[in-house]
Amino acid sequence: MSIRRRAIDLVPLGLLVVLSVVGASTAVEPAGRLAPARAWCSPSAARLLGCGEAGVDLTALVSVAELRALALAAAVALTGFAVGTPLGAAAALARGRVERAVARACDLVQAFPTFILALAVLSAVRSPSRLHIGVVFALTAWAPFARLALAQTRVLRGAAFVEAAVALGRARSGILARHIVPNLLGVVAVQLGSTAAAIVVSEAALGFVGLGPRDGVSLGGVLDQGVVGMLRAPHVLLVGATAVFAASAAMLVAGRAAR
Amino acid sequence: MRRAGASVVRGAGLALGRALESLAVVVALASLVFFALRLLPGDPARLILGDEASEGDLARVRRALHLDEPLLVQYARFLRGLGSADLGDSFRRPGTRAMARVGEALVPTAQLAAVAVVLGAATGLVVAVIATGPWLSTRGRRWIDCLLVGVAAAPLVAFAPVVTWALAARARIVPLPGDPDAGLAGLLFAGALLAVPLGAHVGRIGRQALTEVAEAPFLRVAVAKGAGPARVWWLHALPAVAGPVVTVVAAQLGALLGGAVVVERMFERRGLGTLILEAYASRDLPVLEGAVVAAGMLFVVAQALGTAVEVTLDPRTRAGSP
Repeated sequence: MSIRRRAIDLVPLGLLVVLSVVGASTAVEPAGRLAPARAWCSPSAARLLGCGEAGVDLTALVSVAELRALALAAAVALTGFAVGTPLGAAAALARGRVERAVARACDLVQAFPTFILALAVLSAVRSPSRLHIGVVFALTAWAPFARLALAQTRVLRGAAFVEAAVALGRARSGILARHIVPNLLGVVAVQLGSTAAAIVVSEAALGFVGLGPRDGVSLGGVLDQGVVGMLRAPHVLLVGATAVFAASAAMLVAGRAAR
Repeated sequence: MRRAGASVVRGAGLALGRALESLAVVVALASLVFFALRLLPGDPARLILGDEASEGDLARVRRALHLDEPLLVQYARFLRGLGSADLGDSFRRPGTRAMARVGEALVPTAQLAAVAVVLGAATGLVVAVIATGPWLSTRGRRWIDCLLVGVAAAPLVAFAPVVTWALAARARIVPLPGDPDAGLAGLLFAGALLAVPLGAHVGRIGRQALTEVAEAPFLRVAVAKGAGPARVWWLHALPAVAGPVVTVVAAQLGALLGGAVVVERMFERRGLGTLILEAYASRDLPVLEGAVVAAGMLFVVAQALGTAVEVTLDPRTRAGSP
């Protein structure tokens, strides 16, 4: 695929980041400041997205929450990529029982109720921070990468250049690092976008059910406010839902650039 | 006859093996929760009572939850409790067994999940058959494919509140969130919301599978025998794609349980999700551990059922087939 096409795939994500940075830096007050007098106020020229519960300025809140959600998703997806790719490739090179065990583990982890796992693990901390949330997501984020790397390595391990490396006496770790993994990166990187999108949504869901960061600056927190004020101020709900949609769609489209 | 018997035995064996594997995962998950609560920095007793608690109260809580015993003794007690489905009393409601509260909450969540699976699978299959059969133009099919991809990627947590707002607050055709008199209509609407992503996944996989089946000789035979398109697609083609559809439903169950937490919270419905959130907020450790294990078990049972159904429906997964 041409460079130009790839650049186009990155446009929505870039646009979203720029918009959020502009929104966060032009905000008249810090995200999350309460001003009960103007609670649930409608969008106006001064406050483009209006206010939410207890009068928080939605422009500032959503911009900062969006940036943090995108950063968290990117960090977790990259961690899963960095852990899962070598794991899957090593398992496929080892063949036999190890290969089967890793493949089955990937299946189970991918189908498992990870959201409930996250709830359970987060209950061990007083109030979850973004780091905690990221670590919990990373517990399962490696699986799709490992599965893809495993499948791709099954094809590669029979290739002539791998056989040549074996014949030349290279150690298995050397073959993995020098010959297999570099050939996988393109295929496995495609998964980055959908994993990042899933993390954006999961983080919003955690915030929605009340397990977001304590300062309340999260997309899920905005959605929660929106449901509370559904009858009085539907704009809060629409703003929150649009922000989650935009973040997840931008990540999905950006993932196509890796193809 | 003997072969059929052997294949059923082997199918049951396969399902049992899968169930054992998944069971091991549930024990691993429960252990992870157990150790996370006890080993991460922060004293569970202090998490329960807050910072103001006196040393005497803290000691009492530790004794009640056996937190003063060595870790391995606690773990052995926990595993024994798992085996006998008894994790002690609910901490916030003394005298009530934690597992009794979990059992109560399991019923509405299982109902919700069942409604979602039935609605999702049915809608997905209907869409897949209509889009693959001879009824639509190429353009119509392409539209349906795009729609399925888009809906499958749409996040439940974002669209469910918006749809609820549009239908409950504006159009007033479904009950509002938190309406205590919602009853069956509330269950159906909540289940339908949960079914949307599942239906899209079933539709996509069903469409792929049906497209492959469309070339199969047995469909040509059916056509040659004079069967109409409805009979060919609904009666002959549909059962042949049951395997992949069951697999995709089983693979989506984890997401479905997570979605159930969101939907239950939004509609303020009783259920496993609200119980987990309540136990989380009040740090009711026995209930929390029990609820997570119950969610895991629900998942294991459904996976094993999925494998069994697939083996029963699709002769190719049985032993003795080439």
